[in-house]
Amino acid sequence: MSLKPRKVDFNATWSSLQDTVRGVITLDHVPRTVWNDRFSDVYSLCVAHPEPLADRLYAETKQYLIDHVAKLLNKIQEGGESQLIRNYFYYWSQYSEGAGYLHKLYFYLNQQHIKTQKGSDAEILYGGSDISGAGEQMEIGELALEVWRADMIAPLGHRLVKLLLEVINQDRAQQPLTVPIEAVRGTILSFVEVQSCKKKGQLQLYQDLFEEPFLDASGEHFKRDAARLLQEKDVSLYMEKVMAKIDEELLRARKFLHFSSLPKVSQRCESHMVAEHLYFLYSECMNMVQGERKKDLSNMYSLLKSVPNAISVLVDTVLEHIKAQGLTAVSNLQGESMHIHFVENLLKVYKKYKQLIQEVFNADQNFVGALDKACSSVINHKSNGGRGPCRSPELLAKYCDTLLKKSSKGISESEVDEKLSQSIIIFKYIDDKDVFQKFYSRMLAKRLIHQQTQSMDAEEAMINRLKQACGYEFTNKLHRMFTDMSVSADLNNKFGEFLKKENIDLGITFNIHVLQAGAWPLGQTVVTPFALPQQLEKSVQMFEKFYHTSFNGRKLTWLHHLCQAELRLEYLKKPYLVTMQTFQMAILLLFENTDVLTCGEIRDTLQLSNEQFQRHASSLIDCKFLLSESEDLKSESSLRLNLEYSNKRTRFRITAAVQKETPQEVEHTMNSVEEDRKLYLQAAIVRIMKSRKVLKHNQLIQEVCAQSKVSFAPSIPMIKKCIEALIDKQYIERTPHSSEEYSYVA
Amino acid sequence: MKVTIKNWVGVATWKWVANDDNCGICRMPFDGCCPDCKLPGDDCPLVWGQCSHCFHMHCIVKWLQSQQVNQQCPMCRQEWKFNNK
Ligand SMILES: [Zn+2]
Ligand SMILES: [Zn+2]
Ligand SMILES: [Zn+2]
Repeated sequence: MSLKPRKVDFNATWSSLQDTVRGVITLDHVPRTVWNDRFSDVYSLCVAHPEPLADRLYAETKQYLIDHVAKLLNKIQEGGESQLIRNYFYYWSQYSEGAGYLHKLYFYLNQQHIKTQKGSDAEILYGGSDISGAGEQMEIGELALEVWRADMIAPLGHRLVKLLLEVINQDRAQQPLTVPIEAVRGTILSFVEVQSCKKKGQLQLYQDLFEEPFLDASGEHFKRDAARLLQEKDVSLYMEKVMAKIDEELLRARKFLHFSSLPKVSQRCESHMVAEHLYFLYSECMNMVQGERKKDLSNMYSLLKSVPNAISVLVDTVLEHIKAQGLTAVSNLQGESMHIHFVENLLKVYKKYKQLIQEVFNADQNFVGALDKACSSVINHKSNGGRGPCRSPELLAKYCDTLLKKSSKGISESEVDEKLSQSIIIFKYIDDKDVFQKFYSRMLAKRLIHQQTQSMDAEEAMINRLKQACGYEFTNKLHRMFTDMSVSADLNNKFGEFLKKENIDLGITFNIHVLQAGAWPLGQTVVTPFALPQQLEKSVQMFEKFYHTSFNGRKLTWLHHLCQAELRLEYLKKPYLVTMQTFQMAILLLFENTDVLTCGEIRDTLQLSNEQFQRHASSLIDCKFLLSESEDLKSESSLRLNLEYSNKRTRFRITAAVQKETPQEVEHTMNSVEEDRKLYLQAAIVRIMKSRKVLKHNQLIQEVCAQSKVSFAPSIPMIKKCIEALIDKQYIERTPHSSEEYSYVA
Repeated sequence: MKVTIKNWVGVATWKWVANDDNCGICRMPFDGCCPDCKLPGDDCPLVWGQCSHCFHMHCIVKWLQSQQVNQQCPMCRQEWKFNNK
């Protein structure tokens, strides 16, 4: 064959080509040689001389297809309605496959004639030109499908859809299908495939013709089904059946429909079976949550989450439930180990519901948020309807103290570590972190000073956890306390060398902690009057001498109430080594030359305050070192040395009772928090005003709250008081325009 | 002896002894540290001049470096000499 354009007889060529077209579109046998000849016929017609015959070829082919489809339309209807889907599917399968081959036969026409005429794809997409419009030519494959759409689906579509819906209803009713699944599915999908050459809106026909009527019919079916299931008045059962129904419908949709319909099917189902019956579902919500019925809750969750905003009722119910459980777990706690029960009960509640949320609600953020809110509200709960104090910070600090102290017996180091790291869970929920810090640092101070620390590693690990949760500022003072401990160790060594060099014997083993006054929360009890026993005088004098020659411009203040001594008691049947506080020691030392002294004598000799005297004398009576005839220790009451004292252990300490936190100390701690907050707020206000220069009242309050959030939630009246105080101190002033606006005074 | 002391662990706090509460240069309290430091105490010490004025060491050193001609105490304008007592 020649590729040169030449004169062609259109009628003769078309006549043989038409015969092959028939063979191709009906999937008849077409020999390879014939195919090749007709392939070049298409070429020669397109390039015919003197005039290309492509347009005529196109017109004749189109007409042929129109006639062919018209014949098929008749054939399909021959068997009546009962055969309609089956026949349609048969001829559609044949025709659509044939159209594919035909498209290839017309390769040259498609490539050279249609494409160049149509222009670029971009023009088609964005130029808005309607390619199915009159006069526009399509590639042959597309043309064939378009003819099917216009001349087959347009007249027959509604009848087909009616029959298709009937078959789907048979399937729903579990009746035997009168049409094979393959034909039903194939027919439905033909509405998509017939549009497959379109650049956009490929699903439009499927959606308008089939999907919409299908969804409407299904909706009616779901409504009736819901009404039927509701008659049983059992929420658990209803939910199970609805879940099963949704699964079943999705399975059906997968069997018959285009995949794009799946979410629409479940959405319809949910809207009629869930969204329209929310109050019915909610009616059982409370019982399910309170009974912690996991299966029901999980079903409820998966049903409600599909409906916008429907989940919030369940979330709120869960929140209230956790809160109630939490409050119950920590109510009516009393006694020595109250702090342990408090923390461990809370953790139990937290872990239980965290697990439940994971398991039942798939760790959904809504429920995680509810757990957080519930925990925060339990942990920051104030007794007496909000007027009483919140004890969580104190109890948590005490819990840590118990774990970090030497006395925590029978529990391994790794258990202690685990418990401490768990305590951070509770810590994070505490609003008044500054109160926790106050208690924690007081207890840490006591552990360090009284050598009660179990392990320095555990102490540091805990401080690092707090630092991680709250930042460097928060643990700054705690770190300084540690620094002082190592500085002191160093100092003791140097003092030892000093004594050696000067050839001084103190008569006792002497050790000292020298602390920076500002870093240690030692309270206002710092200066306690006390007449130092003569046995200690030399040590104190020597150390002061050493210290003042080593450091310039520093003043030392002895905190005798925190000092402790180890004594050897030699007046009893066997010797004992007893560690006690310095005041306890001082009292015992007075009995050197007598066995009886009055309280007045002891107090005056030692110059102790009555409170300190009472505390330490009664602790000695409680330990049976001293005997007293009366309950109260009046000035004239006499104390007698117990010469019959005996103890199985020969080395022990009697410091616990006097080292315990007194109610006054707790109150003092709370008051110092109040003072610190005022200073913190004033500093924050100055800082904000310095950078912003002028600020409205409400904005200032907001920024102050945002800054202090890390360590506490300030009260608005307190912020207002601080603003007033700063106006008085002339750090800031009200602007002339408004009393609700402040400016920074440089 | 009925009772003898075997060993004793003393506890004391230390404070700067200064004529003022605040540093005359940075205005920060001597209980705290100078503005360049984070922690008060040994790392941010105080120093005294022979005029008896007292400052954070970091503050007076900075001040002296900024004075081109005379090394004067910023409070009393006497010549600054460290007092090593
Ligand atoms: Zn300074
Ligand atoms: Zn400094
Ligand atoms: Zn001076």
